[in-house]
Amino acid sequence: MPMYQPSTRREADMKLDSQVLDLETAVKDGILGGGCGVIPTDFSSEKLDLKLMIEELEFVDVPTVFICPISLEPMQDPVTLCTGQTYERSNILKWFSLGRYTCPTTMQELWDDSVTPNKTLQQLIFSWFSQKYLAMKKRSEDVQGRVKEILENLKKVKGQARVQALKELRQVVQAHGIAKKTVVENGGVGLISSLLGPYTTHAVGSEVIGVLVNLNLISNIKSDLLQPAKMSLMVDILNEGSFETKLNCTRLITMLMEGNDFVSENVASLSLLVGLLRLAKDKKHQNGVLAGLSLLKVLCSHEQVRNSFVNVGAVPQLVELMPGLNNECLELVLYLLELLSNIPEGRLALKDCPLTIPNVVKLLMKASENCTQLALSILYVICKFAPEECASLALDAGLAAKLLLVIQSGCNPVLKQRSAELLKLCSLNYTTTIFISKCNLTRTSCFLEL
Amino acid sequence: MGLLCSKNRHYAEADIEENAQAAEIERRIEQETKAEKHIQKLLLLGAGESGKSTIFKQIKLLFQTGFDEAELKSYVSVIDANIYQTIKILYDGSKEFAHNDVNSSKYVLSSENKVIGEKLSEIGSRLDYPRLNRELAEEIGELWKDSAIQETYARGIELQVPDCTHYFMENLQRLSDANYVPTKEDVLYARVRTTGVVEIQFSPVGENKKSGEVYRLFDVGGQRNERRKWIHLFEGVTAVIFCAAINEYDQTLFEDEQKNRMMETKELFDWVLKQPCFEKTSFMLFLNKFDIFEKKVLKVPLNVCEWFKDYQPVSAGKQEIEHAFEFIKKKFEELYFQSTAPDRVDRVFKVYRTTALDQKVVKKTFKLVDETLRRRNLLEAGLL
Repeated sequence: MPMYQPSTRREADMKLDSQVLDLETAVKDGILGGGCGVIPTDFSSEKLDLKLMIEELEFVDVPTVFICPISLEPMQDPVTLCTGQTYERSNILKWFSLGRYTCPTTMQELWDDSVTPNKTLQQLIFSWFSQKYLAMKKRSEDVQGRVKEILENLKKVKGQARVQALKELRQVVQAHGIAKKTVVENGGVGLISSLLGPYTTHAVGSEVIGVLVNLNLISNIKSDLLQPAKMSLMVDILNEGSFETKLNCTRLITMLMEGNDFVSENVASLSLLVGLLRLAKDKKHQNGVLAGLSLLKVLCSHEQVRNSFVNVGAVPQLVELMPGLNNECLELVLYLLELLSNIPEGRLALKDCPLTIPNVVKLLMKASENCTQLALSILYVICKFAPEECASLALDAGLAAKLLLVIQSGCNPVLKQRSAELLKLCSLNYTTTIFISKCNLTRTSCFLEL
Repeated sequence: MGLLCSKNRHYAEADIEENAQAAEIERRIEQETKAEKHIQKLLLLGAGESGKSTIFKQIKLLFQTGFDEAELKSYVSVIDANIYQTIKILYDGSKEFAHNDVNSSKYVLSSENKVIGEKLSEIGSRLDYPRLNRELAEEIGELWKDSAIQETYARGIELQVPDCTHYFMENLQRLSDANYVPTKEDVLYARVRTTGVVEIQFSPVGENKKSGEVYRLFDVGGQRNERRKWIHLFEGVTAVIFCAAINEYDQTLFEDEQKNRMMETKELFDWVLKQPCFEKTSFMLFLNKFDIFEKKVLKVPLNVCEWFKDYQPVSAGKQEIEHAFEFIKKKFEELYFQSTAPDRVDRVFKVYRTTALDQKVVKKTFKLVDETLRRRNLLEAGLL
């Protein structure tokens, strides 16, 4: 039996697992101590349950020597075979019950089928988890304490100190899930939203929004925040803030709108619509584009808002935005344009914008089926509205070939129907021959459809 | 030859000195221009009696050394004038209503007060007013208390009665004291029609006592004939503070009794927004005189003003006041976006609810304006 040789032992350990468990550390951390699995700390009165701890420390990096090679889970009752390999008792017994009397890792046939409980390893596992568990508990208790402290502080301080406290609170809430609960339980939500008033500075307001957006807001808080004066403030902050602030405001307003669609009309001020458009056009921040467009979709569910939206020049801006967007955003843009195409001002704006037809035609059969459907709707509306102008432009943009593609593809029948209608509409002013030559189509493919 | 040399040398020296002087002057001009560049120009614009000068006075009180005793005393004659003019308007008004109105008896004064009224009306029509003394103050007070005058005052908007009337009438005793020195509040209420341009330079000290931006604030006359002087001020303006008195929706102009004041403000705001030199200028809209608005809106419906004809009241009390205010705010917002070309949409536009007479409100409001302008500067410098 090899004598204990510290240096080689250490090297061996390090070869196994660079993470942990050289004896020095073990001694330093006090892991080797105590016989009955209870750590002499402040929390020593609690009897700790290993199974529970393993569950709660799910995401922690467990040292590989503690892991059962069969289940890849931490071992609670490690047993060692004659080959010297250690497994979780229940797992290796299950292995044996299948008739396999080999060592799973070394593949050796076992010359001795006895399993020896590895008390030492079990002790180490228990101690290691206990330490981690207690440290986590302490940290979370700390978090709770810190949150309470910050909330108390917020009741008293003003100005720059208030901004700092809010920044700290935001960091804590973003880092620890338990902090959110603590804030809610200690009346924090009401306190923080009460900081939004007519004379709230941008610095304070943007931090408040930054905190609120991380919390679950109940309906009476939502109603309070939906008041015109507070919404006004949020919109101002959205328009003046950094990208992060803009995103937070958009997300918060989206949260407030959930289940409250009927307030669209009051919420969707012109300043908000303009601000969201600006956010959607900022291609450097794709998640901002998505957030902005999504909220615009919610707001435009109300008819009055659609009118206002067209009046702030949304149509040309949305049309110019299209190239280069990902599919999700494209669908949102097309959805909005389709909504707007149903009101007279919207139709006019679509027709007047020179890029509408080329950009929309390009999207047919390009992105998703939804996109194609929406694009077809839009094109149909415009071409119906001003057939002489638009049909020609559409055909110049290669519409006919695309439509034939749709019709001949595996798309759903509604799309095919729409495409056929649109093709017919566009071809009305031309004789078949001229139409075919204009569109560079083959005679047969066209003949079939017209 | 020697002579020539020395002469040349003399000229050369003179040249060098001249050059040095010229360089020094150039340097000074450059320095001053640079310093000027850091001064941010703020312009107070708006129709007559919208509260521009009151804001101007408040800024002076808040960020400069305020008014010294001499300046305060200089307002005594203004306040006297306000009082005489107002009581004359009311007295003449009561006579008119007594003559023309169906309920003429309401507007008939007692015989003693008629005598007082005639006397005061005569004083009020002079070019020079006597200093207000105990005797005159008592007489004015008696006349003010007459029910006919009170009835006339209730219809004050038809007569162009200024907003400071009630305040001064209630303080006559104090104002007529021989050693009267106007308080800051008195000065804020005192009404002088601004003519020409007035300016002050100030720097609001920041929270951590760091000195803030340097602002130069310009106040102008709001009446129509004054507006032609505005255009000279329009270059290089950082921000326009446009004052709109929201209580005026049922009143007509001083200079044109056919024109509704709110409609005038609407047109003026539209005109200002479209000015080419304001392409990059920030706009701070002060919806002013909220205190008077609050009291009026529950009694006089907004739709008496053409611009607000689609207003629908929804509730009562405080909620209704808020609703009415939000409606007006929305109207101004609509106007802003209508009058703003697409390439200007990025300029700052913020709306504030103000009561210019309330110093706390003005202070807090200006703090927000200052923050916005500072952020704007940082943004433009690429530091945000």
